[in-house]
Amino acid sequence: MTFRQFAYRNVLRNRRVYAAFFMASVFSVMVFFLYSMLLFHPSIENTFLKEISTLGMGIAEIILFIFTLFFLFYSMRAFLQARSKEFGVLLLLGMAKRQLHRLIFIETMLLGFASIISGIFLGFMFSKFFFMIVKAIVQIPVLPLYLSWKPFVLTMGAFLSLFAIISYIAPVFIQQGQVSDLLNGDMAVQSVYSYSKSRGIFGVVLLLLAYAMAAFVSRSSIISLFFLLPPLLTVGTYYFFTDTLPLVLHALRRQKKIFWRDFWMISISESIVRLKENARMFFIVTIVSTIAFMSVGILASLTSFASQYREVNPLGLIYKSLPHNDYEYQHIAKLTNELDQQGLDYWAVRFRVLEQQSSYTKNKVNIVKLSDLNELAATFGEKPLSLQSGHALFLPATAAAANQLSTESVNTELADSSVSLEIEGVYPYKLFPPNALGLNTIVVNHLDFDRIEEQAGVDALAFNYYAFNVRDWQETREIGLSIHAQVLAGLMLEHRDPVRYEFENPGLNYSHIRMTFSLLLFIGLLLAGVFFLASGSFIYFRLYTSLSYDRRQYAVLQRIGMTDREFTKIVNRQLIPQFFFPWGVSFIHSVFAFMSLQVIWDALAEISIVKELALVLAGFALMQIFYFYLIRWRYISHIKAPTS
Amino acid sequence: MTQPVVKMEDVTKIYEGKVIHRALNQLDFDVQEGEFVAIMGPSGSGKTTLLNLLMATDIPTYGKIVIGGVEPEKLSQNQIALFRRRQIGFVFQEINLLQMLTVEENLVLPLTLDGLPVEEMKKRVEDMAQKLNLGDILERRPDELSGGQAQRTAIGRALIHQPSIVLADEPTGNLDSKSAKDVLELLEHINQHEKTSIIMVTHDPIAASYCDRVLFIKDGEFFNEIYKDERRQTFFQRILNVLSLLGGNVNDFSTVRLP
Repeated sequence: MTFRQFAYRNVLRNRRVYAAFFMASVFSVMVFFLYSMLLFHPSIENTFLKEISTLGMGIAEIILFIFTLFFLFYSMRAFLQARSKEFGVLLLLGMAKRQLHRLIFIETMLLGFASIISGIFLGFMFSKFFFMIVKAIVQIPVLPLYLSWKPFVLTMGAFLSLFAIISYIAPVFIQQGQVSDLLNGDMAVQSVYSYSKSRGIFGVVLLLLAYAMAAFVSRSSIISLFFLLPPLLTVGTYYFFTDTLPLVLHALRRQKKIFWRDFWMISISESIVRLKENARMFFIVTIVSTIAFMSVGILASLTSFASQYREVNPLGLIYKSLPHNDYEYQHIAKLTNELDQQGLDYWAVRFRVLEQQSSYTKNKVNIVKLSDLNELAATFGEKPLSLQSGHALFLPATAAAANQLSTESVNTELADSSVSLEIEGVYPYKLFPPNALGLNTIVVNHLDFDRIEEQAGVDALAFNYYAFNVRDWQETREIGLSIHAQVLAGLMLEHRDPVRYEFENPGLNYSHIRMTFSLLLFIGLLLAGVFFLASGSFIYFRLYTSLSYDRRQYAVLQRIGMTDREFTKIVNRQLIPQFFFPWGVSFIHSVFAFMSLQVIWDALAEISIVKELALVLAGFALMQIFYFYLIRWRYISHIKAPTS
Repeated sequence: MTQPVVKMEDVTKIYEGKVIHRALNQLDFDVQEGEFVAIMGPSGSGKTTLLNLLMATDIPTYGKIVIGGVEPEKLSQNQIALFRRRQIGFVFQEINLLQMLTVEENLVLPLTLDGLPVEEMKKRVEDMAQKLNLGDILERRPDELSGGQAQRTAIGRALIHQPSIVLADEPTGNLDSKSAKDVLELLEHINQHEKTSIIMVTHDPIAASYCDRVLFIKDGEFFNEIYKDERRQTFFQRILNVLSLLGGNVNDFSTVRLP
């Protein structure tokens, strides 16, 4: 048997130990590979998705990489500690430390190779499915499976270097010291646990303080809280796990009425030990899950933000033609033609917008005709308004401006046409997206309008504004694509041939925004999935490292006369807190965090994120429960397996 | 004569596997109520198998075992657990206290499983602590105890539910001579004053000399038995005589040698 064979067999025969570790690494390689498949997809190269996919996927991949590195470090340490007895035997047989390090290096690399290969294989298998989901979200016509060396090389390179780093550093984790210490490794005495009462209370106070602040946050204080809350919560959570919980459990221990009942004694005292061993891990899991919840929740709320896009953009299509635009009629004909071809109902209104200087404010004023407005308002089912000559209404650029202008009244004379107007009141209907007709716009009746136009001459015309009210506004994605392209091309060549028109397609923009957010949400969900799988695996490793001790304990309990059902109950009482407690704490953290975030959302737009959040949390809860049963099943069967 | 607590009739245990191994062969003996019996034999003689059968973690291939009037073989898994919990006390060589529990909690553990009222449990712990001289160390953890103290705690745990029989597997195996003497005197005392029946498996002739009767087995078969007499010193001598008859050292490994 060569040295390499020895390492190979070690891995192969320890496969039970390595199963969860392997599974989590394979999964993260797979997700990484899927991301890179999308990142390098040729069909995405030329679309607007290019930017999101490079940015979003890039960030997701970096996070995934760092997290996997961290995760592998942690689990590697747990493994090597679990196997310290074996290493002790090897050293006793005369293996040099250097050889031992080489053994671990080879083993880890073997495992790394195996998980990279299987991860990429699985990733490639699932990539068609993955593309189908992305396609459904992004609504790209085709997203075919492709074969390119780039995603393979990226994934291979990233994870090979990752495993190389780990296998190089891993031997450091082997307990230093005498061979006899290694041989007794798993007997290592459970340290007498210390906790400080004051720190425990401090932890709770910090948490309660943070919760209270998050719950009663106001708009003015939100920014300062944004910087204050995360450190408060982090420190509070840390002390909560290291000191507060032991404090509570020890208090419980003194209550004999509770503690001396059924299997509570074993469960509670066991939890105290586990808590002591794993407080830091619980802390990490809690923080990671909180971040995962938060990011998924934020992305979900962005998605719901997109759904309110319509309220901001009542118009279906907008074409703005500046003077000396040769294409005006050609473009309008094209748009109406395309609308007709798609069979979409629409109303088109042409606004002629004049520009004058106000003698009152010396600012430029845009002027529109009331009859045009009435015509557009009618298509939205609003009643027409009338206006006397010499009077004018403000056409507010935004909702905030409407509030401000409603009480204002101005007497002015327009500089070029010397028409004097009394501007009072606000045009009540919201027909345009913000700032559509200029920042400073008034409405006059057609008599005044004609007068201004006549006296100021041709130069008074600022632009023509074509407003299309399309009923099925989401269906306009295909309309005016060529004009859109011309606008984009024109922007780049502006200095040579200035573009004299603007075109906006809210339907198209909306689909872009929605796709972006949904895609980001999807990426985030996958990432959160990796987090959850990994934090479950952490718990499994910890269980595995204490397996030989647990097994002996099980034997004792069995001889004392514990039934299998009681034993399962004890295992439940030990595992459930480990699985769901950190998770529950992070859940409460997120709820309070979202309470304060809701304040921000209320300020931006009236959006409730409760529904999205409930959906996300329920999904993760299901996943976690499934994982819990899986690991409990494995754990119990390991415990009951006769000691070899 | 009193009713036997343990009754073994022609018990045979065969392990089937790649090599068929007859661990016990037609073993037949009784243990009377209030008796303190030692079982001795060289390694591989079937002592562990015998204990496993008595504990009902294993069932005999042939023959019948009755413990306290119950045949464990006929019980369900659940009933076996309850049977162990109520009828049997167990003392291990490697002591096996639960590390995360204090001495007091270790003592009370079998009772909590049966859901006794807390007052009753407290009373029993007090009694037991007095009997076993554990009063000062009730609040300590197992890793803060000496070997003798730990084994005394384990004996307390085996006795607290007033079992009909206590099984002890090399209870002095890991102890120094002073602690071993304490533990053996304790077992003897309990046996005499509480009328608890004890079966102890041991290699140690000194430990065996504390018993009423010593049963020797060899290669799974009954070999000999001797009863205690007036003086322990002579009893010890007689045990040594039988052991020398058993052939070689009792601590011999039974190796399988190929030519």
